[in-house]
Order: sequence, then C-alpha cells, then structure tokens
Amino acid sequence: MVRSLPFVIAFIALIMSAAPGLRAAETVWSGLVIAENVAQPESIPPELTRIERLLKELFGYNQFQVIGQSRKTLTTGQEDWLATSKFFGLHVDARGESEAGYVLNLKLYKEKELLLETDAKLSKRSPLVIKGPQVGSGQLLLVLVVQ
Amino acid sequence: MKTFEEKWTAWLDGQLTEKELIDFEASLPDKAAAELEKRDAKKLGALLKRELGTHVIANEEFFSHQLRERIARENVEPFREQAAEVSPWWTIRRLFWTGTASLALFLVFAVFVMREKNPAEQSQYLSQILNARVDPVVSPNATISMFEAKGDRVTVLWTEGLQSLPADYAAK
Repeated sequence: MVRSLPFVIAFIALIMSAAPGLRAAETVWSGLVIAENVAQPESIPPELTRIERLLKELFGYNQFQVIGQSRKTLTTGQEDWLATSKFFGLHVDARGESEAGYVLNLKLYKEKELLLETDAKLSKRSPLVIKGPQVGSGQLLLVLVVQ
Repeated sequence: MKTFEEKWTAWLDGQLTEKELIDFEASLPDKAAAELEKRDAKKLGALLKRELGTHVIANEEFFSHQLRERIARENVEPFREQAAEVSPWWTIRRLFWTGTASLALFLVFAVFVMREKNPAEQSQYLSQILNARVDPVVSPNATISMFEAKGDRVTVLWTEGLQSLPADYAAK
C-alpha cells in the first residue's frame, strides 16, 4: 500500500495536469455576409440573431444575407478551413487554443487576390465581425462565432 | 587497636607518639618509599589548600555580595514599574499605527491587483484583433481600425478604403 502511494499521487497529478486540455470540442461558424438595404428585408440568419441589433446599428443596413459559410468543429485547435462564395474566400487557420479562445489567422481572398489578412484571438463568448469591401450598394462582412 | 590505615594516616599527619612512630616505621616494608609517599601527600595537601582556598568566599564577603545584589534589584524595580505604567499607552498607539499601516498596505496591493486583473478579465471574454494588414497595391488608401462593442461582447475590425466591387460579387 505504502509502495503504491507515490504511483497513485503521480497518477492523480497527471490527470490534474491534463484536465485543462480535456475540453469539449467546439464549433466555429465562419460566414461571408452581404449587408444591404432593401425594401423587403429577409429575416436574419440564425447565426447572426445574437448580434442583429449591433449589426444594424453599426453598419446601417436592414438585411444580412449569408453568401458563404463554414462550420468547423475544432478538436486540436490547429485546424484550418475555408468559407467560400462565388467570388470570395475566407481562409481560417487556427493556430492554437488558450483558456480564452482560439488564435486564428484569417485571409480574405477575392478570387485569388488577397484583400485582407488579420490575426485574431477569437473568444468563445465574443463574436468577431470584420468589415470587408463595398460590394455594389451593400457591404461584405466576415463574421466568426464560437457556437 | 588502630588499623594500619589509621596508623598510616596519623603517620602522614605526624600525629603518632614516639613509641607508635618507632613501631610503625619498623613495620614498614620499604621505609624510603613510604617517606617519598609522605612527602607527596604533604605536597598535595598544600596544593589543595592553596587552590581551593581562593574560591571559598568568606562569610562576610558572601553577605555583602547578597546585599549588593538586593540593592541592585531594588534600584531596577522602580524603572520596571515606570515602564509597566507606560507600556499600555504605547501598546494602544502601536496597535493603531500598525492597523493603519496594514490597511494602507492592503489598499495599495488591492489597487495593484485589480489593475492587473481587469485587462485579463476583459481578454477572457472579448475577442481581440492582434494585427491586420491589407495589400497596399490592391487598396492603397485603405485604413484599418478596431474596437470592441462591450455591451454586445463583439469585436469589430473596421476597414475603410478597400477596393469597391460591383454588385455581381455578392453572388452566392
């Protein structure tokens, strides 16, 4: 019993040190959104419901349409994925996970042309909105949310 | 009838009568060795008397020593009593200042800890833009800023001056 005590303590310490890493896999929703003012606005996509008021106040549009999206479940925090529309592509490269969220490298492409690149820390409780280029009378927005 | 040891002691001390002395010395097997031993014993006696005598305090010295100690004690007592009278007042004062200093120290640490902690708490629940860049060739007049809508817990990267695109690019 006494001999096995150090092994029991070491095992418990190992479990405790590994515990923070044992986190449930989370899904990141990445969306390419066109914001416009139209006479008959469609209802907002469910992914944006939480920030609908802010989007309308901040950008001054009444309709938000998703033109491209991706839903990626992160297990290691090192994955990368692409959300695309016909002309735009948002490449997301997850570069690690911390207690607060995920460190991401984001690249917005127009076809093969890189328009914008940013590094961000995406918090699990805080969506990220990026204002993209003007498209016709509307505006391209990039939205990332941990679900 | 005296034993040999009693006669030997008396002989060393020179307390034997003339007849006893003659008889005792005749009974000694080696008189020269006995004489030598007698001289050594006398030397030892003299040495002990001299050495021990220095440490013995005479009665009058002992009493005067006791007396001096008592006088010294009595002289110290009044000061101790004075100190005892003063100490409660000092203790209260000391307590007051110690309390005040501790409180000040606590406040200083509390302020520093809260200052350190607040930014960390914010970063715990708000997304952060670490850096951002646009292609200066494609969008030479582009500017980038970032802000946080704390009420909605949303972080916004705001760009201005990006290349405008025709409405066709809004296609799914």
